[in-house]
Amino acid sequence: MDFSLYDFDPAIYDEMFVAEGEPRDHCRAVVDALRELPDDDLNTIQERVTRSFSQEGITFTVYGDEEAEERIIPIDCVPRLLALAEWRELEAGLVQRIRTLNLFLADVYGDCRIVRDGVIPADVILGCPQYRLAMRGVSVQGDVWVTICGTDIVRTHEGFMVLEDNLRVPSGVSYMIANRKAVKAGLRLLYRRSRVQDVEQYGSLLRQTLCELSPGGRPDPCLALLTPGTYNSAFYEHMFLAHEIGAELVEGQDLLVNDGFVYMRTTSGLRRVDVIYRRVDDDFLDPLVFREDSLLGVPGLMNAFKRGNVALANAPGTGVADDKSVYAYVPDMVRYYLGEEPLLQNVETRLCRRPEDLEYTLDNLERLVVKRVGESGGYGMLVGPHSTPEERDEYAKTLRADPADFISQPTLALSRSPCLIDGHAEPRHVDLRPFVLTGNETRIVPGAFCRVALRRGSLVVNSSQGGGGKDLWVVDL
Amino acid sequence: MLSRSAQGVYWMARYLARAGYLSRLLELQVQFLVDRSVEEIHFGWKRIYRCMKRFPPPGEQFQPETDEFALADAFTLADDLTFERSNPDSVWSAIASGRENARQMRHCISGEMWTCLNSAWLRIRDLEAVDIWRTPEVFYAQTRSEIHNLVGVADATMYRGAAWRFMRLGRAIERAQLAVSLLLAQIDLSRQTKRRTLGWASMLRTHHALEAYGRVHGIEMKPDRVLDLLVADPSLPGSVLATVQAAATELEGLGAGPGVEADAAARRLAGRAEALILYDWPEASAPEELLERVDRSARDLHDAVLGAFVDYAIEDSPLR
Repeated sequence: MDFSLYDFDPAIYDEMFVAEGEPRDHCRAVVDALRELPDDDLNTIQERVTRSFSQEGITFTVYGDEEAEERIIPIDCVPRLLALAEWRELEAGLVQRIRTLNLFLADVYGDCRIVRDGVIPADVILGCPQYRLAMRGVSVQGDVWVTICGTDIVRTHEGFMVLEDNLRVPSGVSYMIANRKAVKAGLRLLYRRSRVQDVEQYGSLLRQTLCELSPGGRPDPCLALLTPGTYNSAFYEHMFLAHEIGAELVEGQDLLVNDGFVYMRTTSGLRRVDVIYRRVDDDFLDPLVFREDSLLGVPGLMNAFKRGNVALANAPGTGVADDKSVYAYVPDMVRYYLGEEPLLQNVETRLCRRPEDLEYTLDNLERLVVKRVGESGGYGMLVGPHSTPEERDEYAKTLRADPADFISQPTLALSRSPCLIDGHAEPRHVDLRPFVLTGNETRIVPGAFCRVALRRGSLVVNSSQGGGGKDLWVVDL
Repeated sequence: MLSRSAQGVYWMARYLARAGYLSRLLELQVQFLVDRSVEEIHFGWKRIYRCMKRFPPPGEQFQPETDEFALADAFTLADDLTFERSNPDSVWSAIASGRENARQMRHCISGEMWTCLNSAWLRIRDLEAVDIWRTPEVFYAQTRSEIHNLVGVADATMYRGAAWRFMRLGRAIERAQLAVSLLLAQIDLSRQTKRRTLGWASMLRTHHALEAYGRVHGIEMKPDRVLDLLVADPSLPGSVLATVQAAATELEGLGAGPGVEADAAARRLAGRAEALILYDWPEASAPEELLERVDRSARDLHDAVLGAFVDYAIEDSPLR
């Protein structure tokens, strides 16, 4: 692989190089090996990786006007590397953060001490569309509100930062494992020599974690993964995870509630379900409590949940803690609940609901990233430096009309990592999404779904907008 | 096993059995185009359409009183039966439906099976009739072979649980229905022609039974002997008896379904179809009448299986 034309930019943190042509210590062996690898070999590996995704049907579904299209997420075969010591640092920060967020959720649906003590304004929480009144006063098994969390992490010269906590139905873990299998098969010797930490035990850790939620500690609980169905864009992942954890893959129509217990319709009769890993949004879970027009959910499910007869992972209402406005308060939450300084930093965030923040945002639109509080997936946002004056004027009007719906952040120079583009190495911006599991304890596999903005110069890593994936190797070198 | 999953696996097997069977019929039919008489070629198309319970696409010159098969060219008919998206029974549609059921139930089948099926689907997905028409028999042979391979891969890799049984049950019921349907078409059409033996050799070839026939009955082609072999020989894997017995075996292996009445009906129907062939067939004076009764049993069996394991009334179901 030819790195001689690699466009190293000292202003942007590079995951593989510390200076032009100079690999970071933990990357040196891999860079040397990649340099030795003929371009043709790497191209062949890249093609093989793509072909294996196609043959195995590792796809996400995109819906057009008329018909659905199964697409393959583009995978770059050059791994991103992280030293084990760096990973440990990140891991500690993630554990601290998830402990905090679980305490926060128990609090906001309980005594609301954090509001009474003036750490977070009440309207930030009560005004959040993801705050679920139905969860007020509800206690959950083991106080675990967030069983599965996928935290978006970016890196700059200042270190790791949390971009977003995904606490509802985070996806992408199947790509972490699929990427690993495909890239490992392509770079066999390099993988072996690099002492890469294993991520393929994720399924068994997830199963163990879900089993720990079993109501009343029922042994050998019956697990089900609730999917919105085959038309959901992440259906492949639902199927993959159901298989990995030995759960039945159910839709709402397969479940029913009788006497406060949840049952699924099997070929030998109705079978009680103990733990549901739900990949259906809160709104659609139970038409008797949330949206009454939902056909995806199960009437009476919330009643069974509140009576402690079934566990839901994640618990309903967790979205209040990953709201973009609430996000800004997470460092304060860490200090409030744990009495510790946050190990992981937030991206500096201005809440446009505050007049001074709104004014600052409007005055600096060309330098900021402005996001809608309720949107995700890279939609509804303005990337100031990449926008035209007309787009900014138009966006400013929307922003003034409903400031509380927006936050702004500085445009980060996300770190870059080499990718194989048209047969040679080019840097592309990357982030990573590690998956944090919480049951009786917190478990994190040493790896992540690493997203990459494959378009030159783009900062948007979302797969729906031209992003792709990369394998992340945590190496002990 | 989740009822909806069982239903998905069952339908997957039915669709794939249909695709395999139709591919075999078309493989032989396009071979006829090379060296057979026009009468024989028309006979073959009619038999396929009768078997699939479908009419050929009407052309501009289509007249009800004329022989529509003479007016439509082989390319049009093959296209209609192979790649026509609006024909739910075309090879393309059957593989697409089978693969879609498999995609939704991937966790119930082995990974090897899924890869095998998905590769077959990726090969056929973007094809059209013009792409295969230089050597159509090669395409049909490959498609049939891929489905045979899939059955073999399933046999070698799938856990012998409920999913396995529902898959086998779906395949057996589909093959029983198709075989009976083809036999009824053959009996009826051969009565309308002066050539008494027309089409019987290809019936044997369709069911991979030519060698078995030679071994059992010698080289003389006698329609009643062919019929006997294809209906009542338990050693021939594609015979009606073998498929009906396979369905009964899988039903037995599944144990009682929660839909009590439908479950009893399913077992009765499978038993009746088997008994008709075992005890009534040897003395049947009107084979088509008996085959129609077997056909009805096989179709009712489908409804009874779904009633027993999938669409049962919740009130009757035991709680576990």
